[in-house]
Amino acid sequence: MSSQSLGKMAEFRFLGYIAEIFGKKRVRISLGNLRKLRDILEVEFPEDRCIVLINQRVGNFDSLIRNGDKVVIMPMISGG
Amino acid sequence: MKSYAGKILRINLSDGRVSREEISEEMRKKFLGGRGFAAKILWDEVKGVDPLTDGNKIVFSTGPLSGLPLPSSGKMVIASKSPLTGGYGDGNIGSMAALHLRRAGYDVLIVEGKSESPCYIAIQDEKVEILDARDIWGMMTFEAQDNLEAKHGRNVGILLIGPAGENMVRFATVISQRGRAGGRPGMGAVMGSKNLKAVVVRGTGEIPVFDKGRLREMGREGYAEIKGKENYDFWVRQGTMQVFEWCNENSCLPTYNFREGSFRFSKQLDGYALEGVKVDRKGCPLCNMQCGNIIKDAENRDSELDYENVGMLGPNIGMDDLRKVGVLNRLADEYGLDTISMGSCLGFLMEASEKELIEARIEWGDFDACKKAIEDTVGKRGLGEIIFEGVRKASERVGGDSWDWAMHVKGLEVSAYNCHACPGMALSFGTSPIGAHHKDAWVISWEISTDRFSYSKEKVEKVIELQRLRGGWFESLTTCRLPWVEVDFGLHWYPKYLEAARGDGITQEEISELGDRIYTLIRSFWIRENRSWSREMDYPPSRWFEEPLNEGGLKGYTLDRARYDEMLSRYYEMRGWDEIGIPQKETLEGLGLGDVISVLGKNG
Repeated sequence: MSSQSLGKMAEFRFLGYIAEIFGKKRVRISLGNLRKLRDILEVEFPEDRCIVLINQRVGNFDSLIRNGDKVVIMPMISGG
Repeated sequence: MKSYAGKILRINLSDGRVSREEISEEMRKKFLGGRGFAAKILWDEVKGVDPLTDGNKIVFSTGPLSGLPLPSSGKMVIASKSPLTGGYGDGNIGSMAALHLRRAGYDVLIVEGKSESPCYIAIQDEKVEILDARDIWGMMTFEAQDNLEAKHGRNVGILLIGPAGENMVRFATVISQRGRAGGRPGMGAVMGSKNLKAVVVRGTGEIPVFDKGRLREMGREGYAEIKGKENYDFWVRQGTMQVFEWCNENSCLPTYNFREGSFRFSKQLDGYALEGVKVDRKGCPLCNMQCGNIIKDAENRDSELDYENVGMLGPNIGMDDLRKVGVLNRLADEYGLDTISMGSCLGFLMEASEKELIEARIEWGDFDACKKAIEDTVGKRGLGEIIFEGVRKASERVGGDSWDWAMHVKGLEVSAYNCHACPGMALSFGTSPIGAHHKDAWVISWEISTDRFSYSKEKVEKVIELQRLRGGWFESLTTCRLPWVEVDFGLHWYPKYLEAARGDGITQEEISELGDRIYTLIRSFWIRENRSWSREMDYPPSRWFEEPLNEGGLKGYTLDRARYDEMLSRYYEMRGWDEIGIPQKETLEGLGLGDVISVLGKNG
């Protein structure tokens, strides 16, 4: 996993216990080519209990991510 | 059929009569318990009465799993004709009273009539007394709990009201164990109207079950499974407060009277902010995933927070300090007010003030003014005179365009989810059987994971599926749904628990039919008690259709009224209700509700 501060990067944010699994709440990564989300993050998430939003639209762990994308991975919760 | 005490205890406060009735095998089969029993009793016995007169009844109802050694089973339902909505009202509450009532030999307590002076009911197994409550009338709920424990010991279950219930504030709740609350649609006001301060119950018997050993073993396995869930530790830290960040991210946070879906100061109020000030946890009996987060509030008192009350007493009124939110929440609990409706009423007043529809000024986030307004609500004076009957009545008083932003459905204030861009959740609120509450179908998570902007048939099906499970199955078992919905505890456990408890099983089809029967009966109650029933009663507030979000990632979004209407029509069709939402004859017959047919008019 590479993380750089220069250039336009993809941004990944994690909510709730998904952030605990990843170990951070936010990371920015510079991607050379289009890459699958699953291959970028290299962490095993409980995929059937996650919501993936890419630029506010629903995606999944096979979605292709490019620099500039804003990705949010959050738990499926059920609100009291 | 085991796992029922088998009896209804009926107490008439007008003449002091106490009677006991058998619960028929048919009743157990068709309505299961909890909400199912309550809906059936209210349908049969409460017809055309003013909710705050002695003709109304209040039902305290347990289910066949209540109080057994199973995950989060310390629950009961409190139901009545609602003085806030005029329709069916109920709420579940976690309380030792659920366990004790069952151990005393009763599944259900019905209280009817009206006492001449303040009283409370004391039940110890067969012994039932109506006692003088003049010395505790006027007491805050925590103090009254202490007083009753001093009189009856701590090994009792207590359900009581505060000054809000006594004064018949229409969104007064019932409180137990210093902060457990239930009965949003004014169940506390109904108790107050009967001069009933409290119910104290102690049971020393054993709840009869079919296979005690198996039940205990499966209960142990269930508790262990919950503790082993990967998000359990996070749940212990934040509980439902994890929803705050999630809603803010998804533009679902109630903000400035639901104008917006995200709050600039959200980090000061979210689950991580909570972790910084949390001092303890608290919960219901028999629960190993307690959801009450205790903090020291701004007045250095304990306050029990969860997402709903922080959402409604935080961003919804522009309050950005968690400890101050804690004070408002604790005041509501002590007075016995529903925190969701109180937050909505305060937001309503602030917007009315901003638009100069009322003379008094109350600014967004004004802590001292909020405290005063809460006290005045209980006293029905000042600003409280405007809001003590909820926002629907308040908008009639205030006028202007306030009807569009009085945030309620059927008179019950919307709980803490903004639906500008959540049509499925809007439908959940629109068709909830008590008004705009989230307990019956919380579909947001699923809808955001699929396509939040769609008005699809699948979304309507999902709402009904959740209503069957949450509103029918769990409310009637009666156990808490949170193990399932929050840490993914297996749904497959519950039919097994029921079989071990009762001695007979239940199929998935029967669970669905049970939910449909209860929903259709409650809908029938609404129709019978509201002769001016219309399709518009299933609509969410106009604000979500007419006023776009101004901030956040979904700026510009609103609900589409025509497409919501299509969803609603589809919902009616799937439920077997007609074009204005009245159950059709064939539907009633199919659900074994033949006695309802003749009452509902043309369809019957």
